[in-house]
Amino acid sequence: MRKISLMSRIGLFGRAGIDTVAVLGRSAVFLFHALLGRGGIGGGFGLLIKQLHSVGVMSLVIIVVSGIFIGMVLALQGFSILSSYGSEQAVGQMVALTLLRELGPVVTALLFAGRAGSALTAEIGNMKSTEQLSSLEMIGVDPLKYIIAPRLWAGFISLPVLAMIFSVVGIWGGSWVAVDWLGVYDGSYWANMQNSVTFSGDVINGIIKSIVFAFVVTWIAVFQGYDCEPTSEGISRATTKTVVYASLAVLGLDFILTALMFGDF
Amino acid sequence: MQNRTMEIGVGLFLLAGILALLLLALRVSGLSPTASTDTYKLYANFDNIAGLTVRAKVTMAGVTIGKVTAIDLDRDNYMARVTLQLEKAVDNLPVDSTASILTAGLLGEKYIGISVGGEDAILKDGGTIHDTQSSLVLEDLIGKFLLNTVSKDAK
Amino acid sequence: MSADNAYAVELKGVSFKRGTRSIFNNVDIRIPRGKVTGIMGPSGCGKTTLLRLMGMQLRPSSGEVWVNNQNLPSLSRSDLFDARKHMGVLFQSGALFTDLDVFENVAFPLRVHTELPEEMIRDIVLLKLQAVGLRGAIDLMPDELSGGMKRRVALARAIALDPQILMYDEPFVGQDPIAMGVLVRLIRLLNDALGITSIVVSHDLAETASIADYLYVVGDGQVLGQGTPEELMNADNPRIRQFMTGDPDGPVPFHFPASDYRTDLLGKR
Repeated sequence: MRKISLMSRIGLFGRAGIDTVAVLGRSAVFLFHALLGRGGIGGGFGLLIKQLHSVGVMSLVIIVVSGIFIGMVLALQGFSILSSYGSEQAVGQMVALTLLRELGPVVTALLFAGRAGSALTAEIGNMKSTEQLSSLEMIGVDPLKYIIAPRLWAGFISLPVLAMIFSVVGIWGGSWVAVDWLGVYDGSYWANMQNSVTFSGDVINGIIKSIVFAFVVTWIAVFQGYDCEPTSEGISRATTKTVVYASLAVLGLDFILTALMFGDF
Repeated sequence: MQNRTMEIGVGLFLLAGILALLLLALRVSGLSPTASTDTYKLYANFDNIAGLTVRAKVTMAGVTIGKVTAIDLDRDNYMARVTLQLEKAVDNLPVDSTASILTAGLLGEKYIGISVGGEDAILKDGGTIHDTQSSLVLEDLIGKFLLNTVSKDAK
Repeated sequence: MSADNAYAVELKGVSFKRGTRSIFNNVDIRIPRGKVTGIMGPSGCGKTTLLRLMGMQLRPSSGEVWVNNQNLPSLSRSDLFDARKHMGVLFQSGALFTDLDVFENVAFPLRVHTELPEEMIRDIVLLKLQAVGLRGAIDLMPDELSGGMKRRVALARAIALDPQILMYDEPFVGQDPIAMGVLVRLIRLLNDALGITSIVVSHDLAETASIADYLYVVGDGQVLGQGTPEELMNADNPRIRQFMTGDPDGPVPFHFPASDYRTDLLGKR
């Protein structure tokens, strides 16, 4: 066993810290070149559509199914808790507010990171290891514009859309459980909800959250693929990193955003 | 051909997103097209607004006619100054109307209820409701009750 | 300060470090125009790094890289991308774009760099594929091709814009004799027919020596020797000799550095 002295352990820590800062810097330069600078979105509109399809449309199934189930569970749990206060009528607003403010943006972002984010990382990492990215460079095409940029924009657009769809199907799923099954009066489910959900406060803030998450998750996913070791082991490590870092970032940002938006106590 | 189905798929996806947004706006949050120019401001000073929050509703006869937009402390007379935003349609409140802080239900949130007075003069934009009834604080209530029982016993 | 016209590519005093490890130290390489030049050396000596330095995919720590009278490290990002129009690279694995078919792969550089009408693009693609013998595979997808075919399509793509310099990164690795023969023939043919400069990086001695006009042997971060294949065969330098003759033991030793054998066997571990 190699004995590592205390000093060199501290040194390792320091090196890890500097490496992390270097990675952050690299990823910022990467983002800058991909989004700004000449070239717009390489490959034009057609490539964007293709990415929107693979990132957004293909994630619909998991988002819709999860949304319905979560909405139903919320209604179920909410009903049982609220009925001990005699406030079952409030289940509609509870489901709606929980989904719009928190679960919609956050769960969608987490699912997205797992499904679309890891797929993006693997795809780009694979292109790196088969030298397709190098080929593009040598042909004179900037891979940041041609490969990365369309995927970034596809993520920025898809995630907020998916989050909205998640909230809507969740609220409807909740209504099936609450109204059709548990016997909450249909009118009070929706009326209480409309009274307490504000468009500018809750809906818009939820959308803002999902836009922030979209930015962070897609950026991490795409960068991890681009920066990985071009071996199969490197790609699988990068995919894991994407899911872990993106999930942590989403949860951390969620706390900050929630405190900023709803913390006026 | 594969391109066509892809384009259609993406188009439907985006349409679904827009539809979701509309649903959220209209059905879920009950957004109604009232522009902010259709409202006017009134102020009301309270001794105690405990529990009242911004965005609480303002009602008259149980009908929602506006909401609370700001709560500040008036440093001159040490009272709480509440800013109310009311619909222009209800612009005939007499100057001696009362604003009370009420509780919705048992657990409920606080809201403001306005009851009309009898004067002819009407409150205009920027006017102040002087007749106010503050929030019911539980401790004061208990204190009053105890005081009552004590004085009753003393008689 | 422009480079001589006789040389298509010149590396002047180029050093390259990866982290703290020095891969190249003050290297001077001159690639004569219009000829096939081979760059050879033992595995891991950094031959592929040299190619990447020439194409500016890697930036040298010091020194100048002159390609077609332009000092590449001094160019801006967009000028660099323009300069690459005149270079074609054949990567070791072919590196075809897996989501495009053969036609689209070869047409890709044309679509990116030119505004040619569709009919002209089709004609050019057919021409290039005919040159490599794969015109019949025009509608296939990359995963339907064999390894050798992938490389030939990649070659067609590399010459799509009629570049002046063609770089081959280990083109002979893992090829069966027939595919090898095809490639060898193509490299020489293209070089002479199109009047371009070819740079072949390889450790395949026999094949490279058979078509190269000039050879560089690289190792230990520097140029060990240069000359025509015959000159190098009779070289004095023992390392070049070891490489050219394939001797298992010599300046590059057989045994990895270890402690004394006897003490290892008899003593305690």
